[in-house]
Amino acid sequence: MSLYAIQTEIMAMEKKRRLYSMAGIVLIAAVLISGYGLANDLNSGGFLTGMQQFFDYPSEIVKEAWAAGFSFFLVMGRFVPALVETLNIAGAASIVGGTLAVVLAFLGSANLGVKPPVVVTIVRRIMDIMRAFPELIIALFLIFILGSSPVPAMIAVAIHTAGALGKLFSEVNENADADPVEGLASCGATWLQRMRYGVLPQVLPNYLSYFMLRFEINVRASAILGFVGAGGIGMELRRTIGWGKGAGDETAALFMLLILSIFVIDQLSSFIRRRLVTGRDPE
Amino acid sequence: MASSTLAIQPPAPISGSLAVFSRLRRSSLMIMAGTGLMVLYLLYTFISFDLWHLISRSQPQRAVLLATDAVAHKVHITKNIRGAGRLSIAVEGERTATYETPPGWVTVSDDLTRVDLAQGYRVDIYDTHVIFQIPDIGPVHVRITDAGIKTTLPKGVDPPDWLRATSAKFDARPTLGRRVQVSKARIEVHRYFMGWENFFFPFRSELTAYSPGQLFALAFSDQRIDPDMPNWRLMFTTFWKNPGWQHKQVFVALLETFLMAILGTLTAALVGLPLAVLAAANFTPAQALRFVVRRVFDFLRGIDMLIWSLIFIRAFGLGPLTGALAIAFTDTGSLGKLFSEALEGVNNKQMEGVHATGANRLQFYRFGVIPQIIPVFVSQTLYYLEANVRSATIIGALGAGGIGLMLVEAMNTQRHWENVFYLILLTISLVMVMDTVSAKVRSRLIHGRSGT
Amino acid sequence: MKIADLTKTFGKITAVDAVSFSIDQPQMIGVIGPSGAGKSTLLRMINRLTDATRGSIQINDREILQLSGREKRRWQRDCAMIFQQFNLVPRLNVVTNVLMGRLNGHSTLKSLFSIFGRHMVDEALAALDRLGIADQALQRAETLSGGQQQRVAIARALMQQPKMVLADEPIASLDPLSAEKVMTALREIRDRDNLTVLCNLHTLDTARTYCDRVIGMLQGSIVFDDVPSKLTPSVVRDIYGADQELNESVTSTSIPGPVFIPEPMRIRKPALA
Ligand SMILES: Nc1ncnc2c1ncn2[C@@H]1O[C@H](COP(=O)(O)OP(=O)(O)O)[C@@H](O)[C@H]1O
Ligand SMILES: [Mg+2]
Repeated sequence: MSLYAIQTEIMAMEKKRRLYSMAGIVLIAAVLISGYGLANDLNSGGFLTGMQQFFDYPSEIVKEAWAAGFSFFLVMGRFVPALVETLNIAGAASIVGGTLAVVLAFLGSANLGVKPPVVVTIVRRIMDIMRAFPELIIALFLIFILGSSPVPAMIAVAIHTAGALGKLFSEVNENADADPVEGLASCGATWLQRMRYGVLPQVLPNYLSYFMLRFEINVRASAILGFVGAGGIGMELRRTIGWGKGAGDETAALFMLLILSIFVIDQLSSFIRRRLVTGRDPE
Repeated sequence: MASSTLAIQPPAPISGSLAVFSRLRRSSLMIMAGTGLMVLYLLYTFISFDLWHLISRSQPQRAVLLATDAVAHKVHITKNIRGAGRLSIAVEGERTATYETPPGWVTVSDDLTRVDLAQGYRVDIYDTHVIFQIPDIGPVHVRITDAGIKTTLPKGVDPPDWLRATSAKFDARPTLGRRVQVSKARIEVHRYFMGWENFFFPFRSELTAYSPGQLFALAFSDQRIDPDMPNWRLMFTTFWKNPGWQHKQVFVALLETFLMAILGTLTAALVGLPLAVLAAANFTPAQALRFVVRRVFDFLRGIDMLIWSLIFIRAFGLGPLTGALAIAFTDTGSLGKLFSEALEGVNNKQMEGVHATGANRLQFYRFGVIPQIIPVFVSQTLYYLEANVRSATIIGALGAGGIGLMLVEAMNTQRHWENVFYLILLTISLVMVMDTVSAKVRSRLIHGRSGT
Repeated sequence: MKIADLTKTFGKITAVDAVSFSIDQPQMIGVIGPSGAGKSTLLRMINRLTDATRGSIQINDREILQLSGREKRRWQRDCAMIFQQFNLVPRLNVVTNVLMGRLNGHSTLKSLFSIFGRHMVDEALAALDRLGIADQALQRAETLSGGQQQRVAIARALMQQPKMVLADEPIASLDPLSAEKVMTALREIRDRDNLTVLCNLHTLDTARTYCDRVIGMLQGSIVFDDVPSKLTPSVVRDIYGADQELNESVTSTSIPGPVFIPEPMRIRKPALA
C-alpha cells in the first residue's frame, strides 16, 4: 500500500471516529435535556420552586439541633442502639452473604473442575438472579411474612451480597493460577482440599478487598431498608421525619450518626484495602 | 514394582522443629479463632434480632396465600342473608367484575343455587342451608339458625384440620383452590382458576369475548366495533386504561424509575469528571484546591443516598426529578473519586508525547488524556447505572415515586397479589435488561475496540 | 507394573499411541523424545491426572485405570509426581507445601483449619532436611529460587510416602547446578528408598548419567526401550527425527570442565510468571 493510501485510510478512520464521538455526545445531550424536561413534568414539585426550598429543610433541622444545645449529644446517644442495629444488619448480611458467595463462586468458576459442568452454568444463573433482585422487594416480601424486624433486611441484603460478591469472587477464581491445584491433585487431595490450599491462598487478598467494599455498601443499604420497616436507624428516621416539625434535632442527630459511621467505615475499608493491595510482609 | 514403602528416618530432632511446629499451630489457631469470632458475632446478631421469637411468630401461610394469589384468581359466589338473599357472582368479589348471567359451573333456580367446584366437590345452597359435598367425606350440612351456625358432618367422620366450625363461623378449605365460608351475614364460595384475570381487557369490555386469533383478525378489520376509532386503537386504549392492571400508570412508573437512574448517573458522571481533574495530583498542582475537591467528594458520598433522597423529597416533592438529583449528588462523589484515581494512574509518557508536539491545552486533553481514561469512564458509569436502577426502586419507595412506590403501595393494601407479582416481574426484568446491556457494552469496550 | 496398549487422543491428535511396557523391579527410567512426543501425557495418565482413552495399567493385578474416587486419590498419593513448573502453592510457606503431600487421608475438618500434628510436621522437616532446605521451612514458597522450589516439590513427594515417583521434565526450568542437585535427589530416591523413578528428560546425557533404562518416544509411540548404553547416534536420530541434526553437547546440562553454560534446547517459559 502506498503511503498516500495509508494516509487516506487513517484520515477516514479518524473521521469516522470523530463522527462516532460527535454522535455519542449529541445523544447524551439529547437524553439529558429531554430527560430532565420529562422528569420535571412528571415531578409534583418543579425544579425552580424546589431550588428555592432546597435549603429550607436542612437549615430547619440544623436550627433545631442548634437550639437543643448540649442535649443534642444526648439525643445522639439515645440513637446509638439504632445505629448498632443497622450496623449489625449490614455485618450479619455481609458475613452470611459473603460465605454464601464463596461457596457459589467456587461452584460457579469454569476452571476449577466442578463436576458435572452444568453446575457451573446453573450456579452462574442463580448468582445473576440473586444480584438482579432489588433488596427492597425481598425485604418487603419478608416483612409481609415475618413481620417488621431487622431480619428481613438482613436476609434481603445477604441475598444480594451473595449474588454480587459471588460474581466478583468467581472472576477472581478464574484468574487464579492452575498449577498449584494440579500439584495438589497429583498428591491425591480431594476437591475441597484442592480449593482450600490450591485456590484460596491465591484469591483471599482480593476477596477481602471486595468484601470490605461490599460491607460499606451494605451499611448504606441497611439504613435505607430500615425506612420501609426493617428497623435500625432508617426506621427511627422514618418516625422522626413523619412527625414533621419539632423532631428536627432528632433527625439531625440521626443524620449525624449515619454520616459519621459511613465516614469511619469508608476510611477503615480504604485503609485495609490499600494494605491488601500493596502486599503484606514477605515473611 | 517395588512394594517397599518409603520410610523417612524416625523424625530426626531437627533444630528449630518445635519453633516451626508452634508457628504452624499458631496460624491454624488464628484461622479457628477467626471462624469462631464470626460464628459468635452471627449468634449475637441473631439473638439481638430476636430471631427465634420472630420465626415462631412468622406466618408462612401468608407466603402460600401470596403465591396462590400471585398466579391464580378466584371467583366469589356470595349470598347475602341480610340483603334479602341476593346472590352475586364476581371475579375477586369486585363489583366491577360481576357476572350478569352465571357461568356454566353455577346453576341458579328458585330455591337452589348449585356451585360445581369440579372433581366431585359441589356446594348446594338452599336459602339458609348449605350442603358441601366433599369426595371421600360426604355431604357436610351447614345451617344458619338464630342460635348460630350449626355444622353436621357425616356419621363417624372426625372434623379435618382444614375445617373450622364454630357457632359464629364455618370455614372449610379442603384444597388450595376451593373455599366455603358461612357466617350469619352471608354465604361465600370461592373457586380458584389459574392465570391472571382480565390482564388485557377489563371484565366489562366487549373485547374479552374474542380469542387471540380473532382479536388479531379484528385489529386489521374495517368493521369497527366502536365507530369512533379503528379496532386496533380501541384494543390498545382498552388495554392501556384497564383499571385492574393500570398498564399506563405502571409504564409511567417504570419510566420514572429508569429516568431517575439514567439522569442521575449521567449527571454524576459528567459533573464528576471535571471535578476529578481538579482532584488528581498530576493535573492540579494546587494542593489546597485538590484537598477541597476531595473533601467535596467525601461529603457527597458520606451524606448517603438515603439522606439526599429525604432532603430532595422535601424540596422537590414526588417524582423522577427528585430521585435523579439524589442519585446525582451521591454518585458525583463516588464517580468523581473513582475518576480521579483513574486519572492519577494514567500513563505520563503518552501525555508528555502529546505535550512535546506543541499541542494546546484542549488538544492535550483530547489526545493525551481522554483516550486513556475513556474506558474507565464508560465502564464505571455503566456499572453505576446498573446499580442505580436498583437504587432508584428503593428511593422511589422512600417517597420519590416510580415503580418502587407503586410496589410498596400495592403491598401495603395486602390485596391484589397478582399486581404485586406483576410489578416485581417488571422491576426485575428492567434490572436484568440493564445488567445485560451494560455487561455487553462493557465487555465490548474492554475486549473489542481497544484504547480510543 | 504392566502398561499395555495405553492410548490417549485429544480430538484428532493421538498424543500417546498404544504404548506398552513393564517395570519388574525398582529402577530409574528416563523417557526421552522430542517436544510433543507424548511424554507428559504418558506420565499424567499414570498419575490419573489425565484419563486414558484406552489401554490398561496393572499393578499386582489391580487395574489402575479403573480406580475412582477415594481409591483413585489413594493411588495418586502412592505415585508422587514432580512437575517442570514445580506446581507448589506460592503463597504458602515451604513446610506447609511439603505437608500437602499428606492431604490424602487427612480429614476435611483438619484440612480446612490447617491442623497438622507434631509428628507430621517433624516428618516434613526431615524430608526438607534430606534435601538440604530445612532452613527455609517458614519462608513462602514463592520467595525461593527455582532449584529450591523443585527440591521442595521433591520433599512433598517424599512426604507422600510413595510407591513410585514420576517426574515431568523436573530440570527443564533450572540452571545446571540446581539441575544436578535435583537429579541427584531423584537418583537417591531410587537407590536409598528403592523406588521406581520415571522421569521425562529432554537431555540425552542426563538420561545416560542417571538412568538405568531409557524409553524413547516419537509421535506417541515407543521407539526405543533399553539400557542407556544402547543409545547410539543412529538411534538418537530415529527418536528426534532424521532431519534433526542433534549435537549432544548442546543439550547437555552437565558441567564439563571449567565454565560452560549450555544453551537450552528450546525456549521455555520462565520459571515462574
Ligand atoms: N490438554 C490437551 N489438549 C489437547 N491437546 C493436548 C493436550 N495435552 C497435550 N496435547 C497434545 O498432545 C501431544 C503430546 O503432548 P505432550 O504429552 O505434552 O508431549 P511432550 O510432553 O512429549 O512434549 C501434543 O501434540 C500436544 O499438543
Ligand atoms: Mg511435556
